Amino acid sequence: MSSMLKLHFRKTGLKTTIQDFGRNGHQHIGIPVGGALDKLSMSAANRILDNEVNTPVLECTLIGPEIEFEGEGMICLTGAEMNGSIEDEPIERYKAVRVKSGDILKFKGAQEGCRTYIGIKGQWKVKSWLGSYSSLSSYLSEKGFMGPVQVNDKLEIEDLSSNENLPEIKIKKPYYASCYIVRVVTGPEFSQFSIEQIESFFHQIFTISQDANRMGYRLNERITGYDSSAEEISSGIIPGTVQITNSGQPIVLLADAQTTGGYPRMVNVISEDLNLFGQMKPGDEVKFMLATL
Amino acid sequence: MKIQPFGDSCLLVSFEREISITTNQKVIALFKAIEFKKGIEFLIPAYNSLTIGINQEIWSLHEATIYIREIGKDLESIEPVGNNKYVIPVCYESPFSLDLEEISSILDISKEQLIELHTSRNYRVFMLGFVAGFAYMGPLDVKLESPRKSNPRLKVPSGSVGLAGLQTGIYPTEAPGGWQIIGRTPLEMFSPEREAPTLLNAGDEIRFRAISADEYQIIKLKIETGIFEMEVYDE
Repeated sequence: MSSMLKLHFRKTGLKTTIQDFGRNGHQHIGIPVGGALDKLSMSAANRILDNEVNTPVLECTLIGPEIEFEGEGMICLTGAEMNGSIEDEPIERYKAVRVKSGDILKFKGAQEGCRTYIGIKGQWKVKSWLGSYSSLSSYLSEKGFMGPVQVNDKLEIEDLSSNENLPEIKIKKPYYASCYIVRVVTGPEFSQFSIEQIESFFHQIFTISQDANRMGYRLNERITGYDSSAEEISSGIIPGTVQITNSGQPIVLLADAQTTGGYPRMVNVISEDLNLFGQMKPGDEVKFMLATL
Repeated sequence: MKIQPFGDSCLLVSFEREISITTNQKVIALFKAIEFKKGIEFLIPAYNSLTIGINQEIWSLHEATIYIREIGKDLESIEPVGNNKYVIPVCYESPFSLDLEEISSILDISKEQLIELHTSRNYRVFMLGFVAGFAYMGPLDVKLESPRKSNPRLKVPSGSVGLAGLQTGIYPTEAPGGWQIIGRTPLEMFSPEREAPTLLNAGDEIRFRAISADEYQIIKLKIETGIFEMEVYDE
């Protein structure tokens, strides 16, 4: 028997967007890949709910939204711990939870990690664009596509499955520290940097600045002895590319980054470790470690 | 042509370190030659480089490198493909020409001369980037070489035509930016509902045509009612 679940957004949270694995293959016309920053947590929510792994989820940042449900359905929270609760009943992360009409889902601020994913069982009744539901910036919402969640937005999810029982899936709850070691490989302009600059990049502990969003994370510290005003000829950039700005501050580019850029690309975070950036928040510490392919 | 790994799942092909039409032709020739090849997930053509996303479930970075090196051997012999040649109507009048006054005085030419220089040659679309559909075009006449604005605007209106360095570009959507804005086109450079969301592609050629504020409104209306046809040129 199919059931319909409607979500009414009473509060948006700091930044709540619809995300999936993103849209690949349109970078040549300047369209970023988008998609969940922490794809491990995003796909875990779907696996627990017996959804296709690429089913959209809600990505909540630091402060979660407040959602009133209408109808019946199943949800699952993964990723950051934001102390989600329904009617003051705490929700255990990485577990499917049944919701019904009138239930209100609330969060406190992220206590550990940065992004919580809300998976919902069933099919999302939202418009996709170029094969993805990932909300880009506001220019799409002007054209009737779903942008970042706004107050009073409504979402509908229809569950067509007849199976009431979800498979038993054991997923280990991740633990997010506030310091990370991230593996990188050398980037296209690595050899332009001096030994001193390279040493300072790998020896120091960087902290995530306030200038951290889905496009990229700027780090507070600088690499030593770097002062450049030389502009490279713009070239392709990909999520995980670490650019060094003229002041010597690194920027780690993420899913919504533009597709080309002119700063030297010193290193690239390996795909496996890129999910960690989705859980890093301003003030967290990060150290880079050189890996080989 | 140099091929190197870029991250753990891409290759970066670099050509001569210059912004020139001949170098960009090689980029586009390689792009067209491998665009639909299985195992290639995405491509980012730029001025003098091509970023290639490799699906490593299909082939390894090493296998892809060998294939691309082989194709790259006769890029010179690949005929430049018949790219689009569009005429882009631009209204250089107020209120669209936000910086025309200021930039003409910086360049020490009259507004009329600036418009004349901007509309008197064809430009190549070197690449798309920055925001969806933003076309980097050039090269400009050296007399139009413009500094970026020292205080970038937080919002440049959609359709704005700007100058920066030896480049000219069109803001496809409202976006922040530091280019000197000299006019506005009524064309929809980017439209998510269209099958091809962007009007221009890397490798295309364009020329600008000055239009009046009245013609600007007429073209807008024609676009809204679906009867507008792109003007092309041939030479």
